[in-house]
Amino acid sequence: MAFQLEIALKPELFDAEGEAVRKKAGNYFGIHLEKVRTIQVITLDIALTDEQKARVQSEIFTNPVTQLSSFSPLAVPFDHTVWVGFRPGVKDNPGATAVEAIEDVLGISLKPGEAVYTSKRFCLTGIDLTIEQARKIASEILANDIIQQWKVASSKEWSPESGVGIILPKVILNHTPTVATIPIHSDAELIRISRERNLALNSNDVPVIRNYFLNPEVLGQRKSVGLADPTDVELEYISQGRSDHCNHNTFGGLFRYVDEETGEEAVINSLFKTCIQNPTLELAEKKPWVVSVLWDNAGIGAFDEENNYVITGETHNSPSNMEAYGGAITGIVGVYRDPMGTGKGAKLVMGGYGFCVGHRDYSGDLKPRLAPRRLLDGIIEGVRDGGNKSGIPTTFGQVTFHPGYMGKCLVFVTAVGIMPSRVSGEPSENKTTHPGDLIIMCGGRVGKDGIHGVTASSEVYSEHTPAGHVQIGDPYTQKKMHDFLMEARDGGLIEFITDNGGGGLSSSIGETARFSNGCEVHLEKVPLKYDGLDQWEIWISESQERMTLAIKPENLERFMALSAMHAVESTVIGKYTDTGKLHITYNGITCAYIDLDLLTSGFPQWEFEARWQPPQKRGLFEPVIREPGDYGKLLLDLLASPNIASKEWITRQYDHEVQGATVIKPLMGVNRDIPSDASVIRPVLNSHKGLAFAQALIPQYSAIDAYHMVSCTIDEAVRRLLSVGGDFDHIGGVDNFCWPSIQFDPEENPDGMHKAAQLVRASRALKDLCLAYGIPLLSGKDSMYVDGFLTGKYGEAHKVSAMETMQFSTLGVIDDISHCTTLDCKVAGDKVYIIGKTLNELGGSAYYELFDYVGLNVPEVRPEIHKTMYQKMTHALKQDLPASVHGIYRGGLLVHLAMKAMAGDLGMRINLSKVPADKPLRNDVILLSESPGRFLVTISPENEERFTHLFKDSDCACIGTVLKEKHLIIHDINSIKCMDLTLEELKTAWKKPFGDLI
Amino acid sequence: MTDVNVLVLTGYGLNCDHETAFAFEKAGAKSRRVHINALIHHEVFLKDFQILVFGGGFSWGDDHGAGVLQAVRMKTHLGEDILEFVQKGNLVLGICNGFQTLVNIGLLPGFDGDYSKRSVALSNNDCGNFRNDWVALKTNPPSPCVFTQGMDFLELPVRHGEGKFYCDAENLNRLISANQIALQYALPNGTLANRKFPENPNGSICDIAGICDPTGRIFGLMPHPEGFLNITNHPQWTLQKETLKRQGQKPDFSAITLGVRLLQNGVAYIRES
Repeated sequence: MAFQLEIALKPELFDAEGEAVRKKAGNYFGIHLEKVRTIQVITLDIALTDEQKARVQSEIFTNPVTQLSSFSPLAVPFDHTVWVGFRPGVKDNPGATAVEAIEDVLGISLKPGEAVYTSKRFCLTGIDLTIEQARKIASEILANDIIQQWKVASSKEWSPESGVGIILPKVILNHTPTVATIPIHSDAELIRISRERNLALNSNDVPVIRNYFLNPEVLGQRKSVGLADPTDVELEYISQGRSDHCNHNTFGGLFRYVDEETGEEAVINSLFKTCIQNPTLELAEKKPWVVSVLWDNAGIGAFDEENNYVITGETHNSPSNMEAYGGAITGIVGVYRDPMGTGKGAKLVMGGYGFCVGHRDYSGDLKPRLAPRRLLDGIIEGVRDGGNKSGIPTTFGQVTFHPGYMGKCLVFVTAVGIMPSRVSGEPSENKTTHPGDLIIMCGGRVGKDGIHGVTASSEVYSEHTPAGHVQIGDPYTQKKMHDFLMEARDGGLIEFITDNGGGGLSSSIGETARFSNGCEVHLEKVPLKYDGLDQWEIWISESQERMTLAIKPENLERFMALSAMHAVESTVIGKYTDTGKLHITYNGITCAYIDLDLLTSGFPQWEFEARWQPPQKRGLFEPVIREPGDYGKLLLDLLASPNIASKEWITRQYDHEVQGATVIKPLMGVNRDIPSDASVIRPVLNSHKGLAFAQALIPQYSAIDAYHMVSCTIDEAVRRLLSVGGDFDHIGGVDNFCWPSIQFDPEENPDGMHKAAQLVRASRALKDLCLAYGIPLLSGKDSMYVDGFLTGKYGEAHKVSAMETMQFSTLGVIDDISHCTTLDCKVAGDKVYIIGKTLNELGGSAYYELFDYVGLNVPEVRPEIHKTMYQKMTHALKQDLPASVHGIYRGGLLVHLAMKAMAGDLGMRINLSKVPADKPLRNDVILLSESPGRFLVTISPENEERFTHLFKDSDCACIGTVLKEKHLIIHDINSIKCMDLTLEELKTAWKKPFGDLI
Repeated sequence: MTDVNVLVLTGYGLNCDHETAFAFEKAGAKSRRVHINALIHHEVFLKDFQILVFGGGFSWGDDHGAGVLQAVRMKTHLGEDILEFVQKGNLVLGICNGFQTLVNIGLLPGFDGDYSKRSVALSNNDCGNFRNDWVALKTNPPSPCVFTQGMDFLELPVRHGEGKFYCDAENLNRLISANQIALQYALPNGTLANRKFPENPNGSICDIAGICDPTGRIFGLMPHPEGFLNITNHPQWTLQKETLKRQGQKPDFSAITLGVRLLQNGVAYIRES
């Protein structure tokens, strides 16, 4: 008989969680509450004696110092109470750890079907709080229908005895697993079935699939294992493998590109091959530190003689858009499995993030599934718990607000790992599967979670997007597995390792079996969360925290013993063969028998029409604005604009120092509150080498030309790295494209050809810049379909597409971290230098954004000129010449002078007449243009000569002095003072928008 | 010179184990990372060590209260061994999640030699969030705490969501009168934070950042000494480097930090006893 335990803080104690809810209700909906108290509810569906119940209550679930608890509802006063619990099948992490503790304390093990479920009850008190208001708080702050169920009760209808009653979110399927065969009489029929079953088969693929299954030779072979028509397991396998998510059909597609400006007509066969693979292979030849690229879960570079680093970046947009917390935590925990599954396995050493969302205070007519601020809250908390509970520092990140992301938000997550360069004498990047190796599934169990995740994320969002692919990551389970796998690796027990992400076993086994050229999988051996899953569900479920490994039979015993020691579940579910076949059985009966090379043979390439109209032709022009008179007010408004304003509240929630390795933290300066250009860690604690990491994201320039969006983004990510001491000769890159749909359709996607042309131009910029700067692409991913349909005022649905977006991450090895520096002005009397030329490039700038202008003069990178400056900058830092270095990014010179001054808590006197420009420019252009390739540097008088000598052939000029007075003073091109603000004014404005969020 | 052997617990979601072990090596000890289950299964024995470290991290994901489930497992399987370890005059250090575990086991505050009673707690930060920042800390010279001997002021990172120290007035008075409050949050000038946020990052009563048992041999603290391993961990190290340069000096990048110094005190104590 199930019973319930309610736990609450003693009444006299401050309830921080309740207080947070009270504040949100006030800030978000203007609902005034006097008090919110939270009650933890533990529902135990276990047969226990009264004595056992008492022990569990006192020894596990009640802290005698701070808490009260009771097996009947606690009499905490409220006007309305809201109960929130998970829906059946949603991962309940505290429920699982509760079971561990109960079994431990009582020395019992739960019987099948027994379980513990956690939920919460919120007691809301507020004068004339209405039931509607309570419901609003429940549905828009406390619960998300996709994963949670909730109940609201008023004090009148509340029964003090039974409380909310006992709700068991137990999955009961009562279903006998059955394999269905699918008739393939005609293409039309298969297409229909594909739609019905959510197979998301591409109609162009259907003839190929039918030809295969109708091929007499294939039919003969299938007959021998008792198969005829394809089974659902087989079609699901094909559908997963062919999805854009797994197969990158868009980047591998055929583009017919027409440039109306130059008249160029080009046919591009695979952007991946021409713009990513080829340049990277070319650079890998020249860069001895490139160890492994383009094939594994992540790229590998050399850190030192003994160690390699590993990096990859992912996005998790679709699920985050529907359930922000679950999607984001699944995203970060998921990307952390990539380095674990790279080579023989890497230890995680840092993570990064990039969030793109609608404006936090959006109050327009469009109704996104989750209000932007709630979405952002959830994303922030998801990445927080995923990173912090994994014991991995989150050392860098950024947030971009733009209405275009209301259709689908973007959640970028980046993972960096480190691994010994040799494991049991062999290079650790090499791995393969051999016939006879055992297939092991390790970590979490399999449930219905994440079914069709990859196909759903390969679609435009609508209310009909299946919610099944929304999950909640479990960093605790994964951390245990991580620690276990590192020991297994060092013990030489691992032949091959890869993660189970999109496509689940279907992808991980399907791909690893290609090395040995075959496999046999026994699906009934796969550990399940609950009975009743069909075979195809077991095969493609994306249940998290799982790795797939190949182990030599002779190592099995040692592997399993180590697994048990770490309390990690590992199961042999089959073996690798060399039959050329993917052979899946369930209780001995074959449910799939497919040639492994099917997915890589004969499927039609996707094709796109790409048509480029130059910005002028699209009606873009420079706005006509006279020079502002009040630069002070302008700067304060820029600092308070959401994309520039301080986001310290996010950074502080992220553990960025665990592992004891941070050298340059995400927030630096005398008051530890200004974002640094890049982060630096010391992944090998007894080494003086460091890893510098930075990211850049400037999608606003895509409104003019995605070519320059990409080149400026890469240039910024490079300058960020150099500013802290990165070495220009060792920079690896990670590209993460997030693009709206590019397939032209006169009704559904009328501007598809333009978006396709933007993708072509963006990819070309990626190639050009990487070759010019010598940046091999160590890893990269693309996530298309960042569009969504949002309902408006009259029930009409608008298609909202994101700006064409690419996040670029840079990673570099620093030989000696003692040469690192930071952006803050350090000593009064130092000279302020600007490096690089300023041009009239206000197009897409933060300044224009203030007025909702786009403009035309988009910033352009001049790689050949920038390159020599960047080499000099590396040189200057290696000699410790600058006292501080900071790149000039979004917001231009004006904003970034303010950043340097605020960081050092020292003033500056600046004279604009000295700023190098291509021609005489207006003050506003000099201050607000976002021309790339520029740095601000402060130098001690004694280093000035050596520094200027080093930069003598470059644009390099002294534009002012660091002051001990806490004022930022600017003199215009005629040397007349045009701005004088105190640092306090600057900081107050910059911190105002989000300052009260923590 | 005899070896001082340090056992740093690992497993079940704990982190900080690598740098904590490294920090103790820097402090002159021999340290070993040991999985909780290796102790429970008697593959490793407490008797071979003189310092037991409950390190930072999210054991059991912090579910049901940070450190609670770790305390349950340790107490259930190793309660006796740990008491014996303590009685032999060895040292126990709890950092962050480890501190939370020590108060839930009852090893702290250890009034009247009772090492199994929970009489103080670490609960949710008043700010309502996990928080990573550096804090200034003041030691309590008359405290018997072995680890803070000879130190008056230091800076360390805090990284926690449940670091608010709480106990009732009676127990607080006992802590104060026995000088068991070994470490308190302070302002940069060294005076107590007096619950001012963010200097006191979690709202701890009496600005308590760390306490010891009456013998001073069991010590728990929320800040992370192993988070200040090298001077390059300090948030202002680049400014300090530049300032020294102007005085014609170079920073000593192999200098022993105050974080490591705190651990050295423990190592020295074992060596001398």
